[in-house]
Amino acid sequence: MRILVVEDDQVTQSFLKKGLTEQGYHVVVASDGQDALFQALEGDFQLIILDRMLPKLDGLTVLNTLRSAGRTLPVLILSALDSVDDRVKGLREGGDDYLVKPFAFAELLARIEILLKRSSHQQPAEHSALTVGDLSMNLITREVSRQGRPITLQPKEFQLLRYLMEHPGQVVTRTLLFEAVWHYDFDPQTNVIDVHVARLRKKVESDDLAPILETIRGVGYRLVDSSVR
Amino acid sequence: MASAIDWWTARFASFAWRFTVLFTGILLLLISAIIFVLYQLSIGEISRSKQQQLNLIAQQQQLLAEQLQYSEFLQQLSLQAEQSRDWIIAYQDSQAALGDLSRVPNHLQGCPDVSSFLVAQGDDLRVYSGCIVTLAQGTLLVAFDEEDLYFLQQRFINASLVSLLLTIILGAFSGRYLSKQLLRRIKRFNQTAAVVQGGNWSARVPSTGRGDEFDLLASNINRMLTQLEHSFQAVSGVTDAIAHDLRTPLGRLRLALESAITQTPQEPITAATLEPMLKELDDILHTFSSMLELSRLEHKQARSSFQEVDLQQIADDAIELLQPIAQDRQQSILLDASGVTTIEGDRSLVFRALFNTLENASKYGGDGATLKLSLTATGFTVADNGPGIATEFHDKVFQRLYRLESSRTTPGYGLGLPLVKAIAEFHGGDVELSNLSPGLAVTVRFRKDRSISANGRETVGTTAAFD
Repeated sequence: MRILVVEDDQVTQSFLKKGLTEQGYHVVVASDGQDALFQALEGDFQLIILDRMLPKLDGLTVLNTLRSAGRTLPVLILSALDSVDDRVKGLREGGDDYLVKPFAFAELLARIEILLKRSSHQQPAEHSALTVGDLSMNLITREVSRQGRPITLQPKEFQLLRYLMEHPGQVVTRTLLFEAVWHYDFDPQTNVIDVHVARLRKKVESDDLAPILETIRGVGYRLVDSSVR
Repeated sequence: MASAIDWWTARFASFAWRFTVLFTGILLLLISAIIFVLYQLSIGEISRSKQQQLNLIAQQQQLLAEQLQYSEFLQQLSLQAEQSRDWIIAYQDSQAALGDLSRVPNHLQGCPDVSSFLVAQGDDLRVYSGCIVTLAQGTLLVAFDEEDLYFLQQRFINASLVSLLLTIILGAFSGRYLSKQLLRRIKRFNQTAAVVQGGNWSARVPSTGRGDEFDLLASNINRMLTQLEHSFQAVSGVTDAIAHDLRTPLGRLRLALESAITQTPQEPITAATLEPMLKELDDILHTFSSMLELSRLEHKQARSSFQEVDLQQIADDAIELLQPIAQDRQQSILLDASGVTTIEGDRSLVFRALFNTLENASKYGGDGATLKLSLTATGFTVADNGPGIATEFHDKVFQRLYRLESSRTTPGYGLGLPLVKAIAEFHGGDVELSNLSPGLAVTVRFRKDRSISANGRETVGTTAAFD
């Protein structure tokens, strides 16, 4: 997987390069808008991490030009501008995701992974059922069961689990979960999400069942296939 | 020459001069118009009626000449000439002249065109106006004495000139005076601006209380100054708050880092050492972005994100989000959603205000408290039966980063209620605290007056009906 990292701050750039390389990505960097546009049009990348404020050519202009040239690869915008308006503008210009500085690297990784998964199978098939290991969810009847034993969930718990099951094996951050389930644009900051996940965990890992909902400290959660472990 | 032009350009740049010149000019134009009309109505009218009479007499004589025998006509003519005082009637045929004049001047125009000529009366020369009619045997002249009219005219012109001169003088003086008056008031604006520029934000433009345009301008400028002063204070308030309150956590972080570095030889840095630091830093960043957001909300004007928001839905979501935490504290949340539950607003911000208020009540209400959320036409009220807040602190809890002595041990940043207030005010509403016994009620309004909106809706309804 080749990722183009466009960032003019050298320290941030080198941290991103180091961190992403450690995760097994092939990273190419660009420090200004012109270089970024050139690289993006010439090279074969699966994803671009694009800073908004860049020398020579503004990040949104780069994005706009890329989209006009017919490039559909996912673009994750990084920005120090965090008002809702800025966010909306960034996404409207063709960004696939928007992350505000300062961000946790784990959050960035989680979002990259989701973007890559999403673009690798462009049309997410309309499943009527989701299965992760011995956990299964029927999206039509809204029945959830593990090893055949039914689990009763509250509506939000169902949505939480659905999102986790749609991203099996991936780290999902609290912010991602909140956005996906509650659809409000803000970071509740308190431990409310943790409490909700804790309740969900109690239900899916009840009795003697193997743990499948992992907590990644300081980052978020990951739903794993218990049979694989 | 150039310096004269420069002098005038410089003069003209001043409002007082421009105003004076313009004022005098307009006044002159006005007086000239009046003089013109007066002239037309007086002297013009007299002269016109004289000419009319003149023509009438000429026509009469012409008619007589045609109908009477020539000798009869001459007889009648000399009689007429003798009788008429105001008129000169003269006749001349090939043999002799008859009437008031010894001969009829031949350079005059034929009636009805009137021209002037001089007549010697003794030593005197008098001006007459008249015209001639050419008859079969001779030439007839009819004229009137123009001297009186001419005299009147001269006096009129003199009077006009004097009055125009007076107008210029008066116009210049009153224009100067008026512009000075105007400028004196403008000077007050300039003085105030200078004082404000000098750093005194409390300076205001004085008002005469007459309620004229200048007072209106003054009150507008004063309102603007008040707003600027508030923004200014808010900005410096935030800066102060950041400086004071982020110093403590930043200091802690620095200490932790320092000790981790100095102790590295003995005990290597582990994730366990770094994690609290990361947490601390995250808290600092969160406080920071919350404060930025507060400032942004306080100064934001654009309401592009406003839409019809279902308060009931938001209340359900907020309760659902908070429910597990409330249950851990053995608290119960009651919802009273009997009122109107749709408001105009920003969905995420309204949710945030409601969730923050509810979370605050849960956090400070104590274990086992009952939280009651009531939706109203303008917003919502969250009431708890916890310890409440003493009245003297009601204002303080809305200050950024202010934390009550009793809640210093609870996690929090002192930005919850200020943010709720900022959101309410952003929507044009307010927040009110009131004590219950026991407990606290926080009322959040997203707009102040419900009747305006109700009327608005009614109007829309009527229009729709006409469509």
